Amino acid sequence: MVAHRLVRNLAGAVAVLAALLIVVFGLPALNRAVPTDRSLAGRHYDVGAGVSVAPPPGARVDASKTRPGADRATVMFLVGDVRYLIVVQPFAGRIGDAAEKLRTKIKATQGYQVTGDEGRVSTAGGLSGVAGGYTAPGRSGRYAVFLAGPHSIEVTVSGAQLELQRELAGIDDSISSITYGGGE
Amino acid sequence: MTVAGQTKGRRWRFSVRPTPRAARALKSLQLPAFWLLGLILLAGMARLLEILRADLARFPVATTAAIVLFALYAVPFWLFIASMDFLEREPPLLMATAFAWGGAVATTAAIPGTQALHDLVAKLISPAFAATWGSAIAGPTVEELLKALGVVMIVLVARKQINSVLDGMVYGALIGLGYQVVENIVFAVNAVALRGQGDGVGPVVATFFLRGFLAGLWSHTLFTALAGAGIAWFVVRTDKPLWWRLGGLGLGLGLAWLTHFVWNSPLFADGLGSGAAGVLLGMLGKGLPALAMVLALLWVARHREAHYYVAQLARLRDPRIATPGELQIMGHGHLRADARRYGRARCGRAGERAVRGLQTAQARLAVELSRVERIFPGDELLVHCRDEVLAQRQRLVDLGHPEAIVSPMRPAVPRVVVLGILFAIGLFLLIWQAIRTMNAA
Repeated sequence: MVAHRLVRNLAGAVAVLAALLIVVFGLPALNRAVPTDRSLAGRHYDVGAGVSVAPPPGARVDASKTRPGADRATVMFLVGDVRYLIVVQPFAGRIGDAAEKLRTKIKATQGYQVTGDEGRVSTAGGLSGVAGGYTAPGRSGRYAVFLAGPHSIEVTVSGAQLELQRELAGIDDSISSITYGGGE
Repeated sequence: MTVAGQTKGRRWRFSVRPTPRAARALKSLQLPAFWLLGLILLAGMARLLEILRADLARFPVATTAAIVLFALYAVPFWLFIASMDFLEREPPLLMATAFAWGGAVATTAAIPGTQALHDLVAKLISPAFAATWGSAIAGPTVEELLKALGVVMIVLVARKQINSVLDGMVYGALIGLGYQVVENIVFAVNAVALRGQGDGVGPVVATFFLRGFLAGLWSHTLFTALAGAGIAWFVVRTDKPLWWRLGGLGLGLGLAWLTHFVWNSPLFADGLGSGAAGVLLGMLGKGLPALAMVLALLWVARHREAHYYVAQLARLRDPRIATPGELQIMGHGHLRADARRYGRARCGRAGERAVRGLQTAQARLAVELSRVERIFPGDELLVHCRDEVLAQRQRLVDLGHPEAIVSPMRPAVPRVVVLGILFAIGLFLLIWQAIRTMNAA
């Protein structure tokens, strides 16, 4: 009788542990098993918060890292193994403050270092901003930041050196195509 | 003395399953669930410390401020939850375990789980759908499951301590409180990081106000109290058919999920109508029904349990133990408080202390009476409890205030109603002013 009670107690406890493990490891594993990308088929992409962009050739969207929204929005494009991220968020400061914020964010990741000087950059739609580069273990990166209305638009691109160089022209064109509020 | 078991046949006889005399806390050590619970708690705490250590390294001032603010915030919640069950208090260690499960296990497990489910919604439906409904689907599904597992673990480790639906609500609410406190700390530090202006306490204070006051009344504490009620119903109401018990369990868990879903959903996210009043209305429209539902359930559960224990004393028919007037007020927290105030008005602080002492001794005797089938004259524990009641009674007699009852001049509208209304008005005004300030900013 006592042994039966102990077995039942053990079974209950193991069931709780199993449910816990399913949440902690099972769900992320299932998430990894489901393909992340959605083909863009050459359309102009609406990032959210009034920002749109022409994705680079061959780009796919990582749906798990993409969050459209009316006030803040994020999109992650995958171009081969190169990650191209655009983050739009409310921002009230100047372009220098926005650039400093993005640099701080990049450097917060262990091993990431901003390299060299920043330069001015502008989009075909007339948005002006600053751009620079950074390095990470085994990867190189570029970043740019623009101010558009009450928002900042942060762009980061990272990938292995050779692959990044190969895709950079298309990505630069894509950055240049960023528009805010219908081409403002 | 009278046979306590004769209470069977009365209306509230199945509302409480008393802890048997033979039950001992140390017996839990023999249970596999106890050791597994210990291991899970250790793993959760290690992970939580890892997260907090990283936050402290990046933003020491903001993280410390967040921990202190939300720890203080938890105190009145804890006191309220603990006082919900005056007559049959829960063991403090078990209450702390429930809080730790919510704060250390459920939170740390929810981080990867919620993120993964949110991502799956984005992949399987669309990023736009996930951005709108992802939090409403992933949050309740993962978080309510993890918190409910905490209540199940408490049942596995100390089943005899779950005596009524009210007990389930107490443990559920404590698990929710632990979750709410730790989640708020993490959100506060994230707000500091998002602001990107260094180690400042501004975002922490804003988060404290937003998540503590504007959203705090209808948050995890409330959701998990519903889940706890459902689980306790299943455990306690063994007099009901299995399908009825499973129905209660499903209802409790379903309501926990639903109230969480409604709160996280984008419905009324921008309020009802324009301006601060519209935002306030939208927020109240989402939160108040859940709060009202939990308070109503709490009222029913408390009174069912109270009636059960009052019946234990009533069977003794001994006015030295409890007079009819005392039995009438024993099951109502605000009436017990009124009786203490009356004791103070008549005999000063000593009178208040003596009334409190009698009420506590009566509650203990009622609980002990419920734990035995028959009362034997030589039952040392019962004799001790009865003597304690008689000693407290003698204190009152010596003070010239022999009965712990409410004042005959008590106002027609109970004080608790007036205070409740004033508190609600004050809170609404505070929230409205806060929303107006934020809109203006």
